Amino acid sequence: MASHATTEHALAPGEIAKPNTAWIWRVFGILVGITAVEFVFVFLMHPSTLRNSIFIVLTIMKAFFIVGEFMHLKHETKGLIWTILVPVALLVWLLVALITEGSFIGEVLQNMFK
Amino acid sequence: MAQSTTLPHPAASATQDAPRTGNWDGGNEPFKASYGKLMMWFFLLSDAFTFAAFLTTYGMIRHKHEVFTGEAKDFVFSTRWWPIPDHVFNAFPGMGEANVPLGFVALMTMILILSSVTMVLAVEAGHRMDKADVQKWLLWTILFGATFLGSQAWEWSHFIHGHSEGTVMADGTVFHGANLAMNQYGPVLFADLFFFITGFHGTHVFSGVCLLIWCFIATTNGTFEKRGHYEMIEKIGLYWHFVDLVWVFVFTFFYLV
Repeated sequence: MASHATTEHALAPGEIAKPNTAWIWRVFGILVGITAVEFVFVFLMHPSTLRNSIFIVLTIMKAFFIVGEFMHLKHETKGLIWTILVPVALLVWLLVALITEGSFIGEVLQNMFK
Repeated sequence: MAQSTTLPHPAASATQDAPRTGNWDGGNEPFKASYGKLMMWFFLLSDAFTFAAFLTTYGMIRHKHEVFTGEAKDFVFSTRWWPIPDHVFNAFPGMGEANVPLGFVALMTMILILSSVTMVLAVEAGHRMDKADVQKWLLWTILFGATFLGSQAWEWSHFIHGHSEGTVMADGTVFHGANLAMNQYGPVLFADLFFFITGFHGTHVFSGVCLLIWCFIATTNGTFEKRGHYEMIEKIGLYWHFVDLVWVFVFTFFYLV
């Protein structure tokens, strides 16, 4: 919480602290900006491995801001961060492995009767 | 590590009420997060496995289908190759047959990101014990969540009913729209994956909206005020952001790539 702590002065009973929302709207701006960039690439670039890689990088950037800032993971203890990140990294490995497998299966099926 | 947990001496019964703070005495918060929040994180991790399985299936099935290799403007729907997403999702409510590639899905993405923002604002208001602000931002989040669900209903309905020109199927008949066995856009599995992935995500949004409505009622009744903290809003907030996160991935892999 420390990084988002509101004003330090002691509050009188019943008094409500001032909202501290500038960082929230900044993250919102970043997310909208990244989405806009994705749309620029959809319409200005022909489909290719490069374009897909750009999309994946931009998606991971968006995920970083949602998980890190909105879900507050960036400000949790190191132990919690690793507990979440390590299984997710293994998942990505599985994803890459199975998609590669899919391409091979596709190739075999398409060339089967040639 | 060296902390020992000694049993209280029978004579010192008064000290039994004193808080016990050893490693295994309970009352500790591993990772400095409360039990509820930690369990929400682990649940979300397991839910991420489910969605990763869906997206992996999508990637694998898509890669084993043929790719349309011609120019994008010459693209026609065929069961032979995987469709180009911006040719499938190009309708906008109230604009008839106009070609608005990915326009509606862009709007849906914006609505969901905005709902995530109002959710953080509700959590922030909860930290300040500001009941009125919590209520206000929860209501906005419910509104955006419900709007997203409505948009998805429209998207599904349009996908099911299809474009007016339809596609000539293998037996020579023209087929419009999609169901689980046939669709005008491409291979059978394309529509199946659309229904399963966006449907499963939509179910999550629906549960989220239900939880938020319950949260709003509890806030209004002063449940959290009496409890002294608004942690429940934080936990539901984690879930809500996760749903937004999943959409970010569904959006990339289903609509952009």
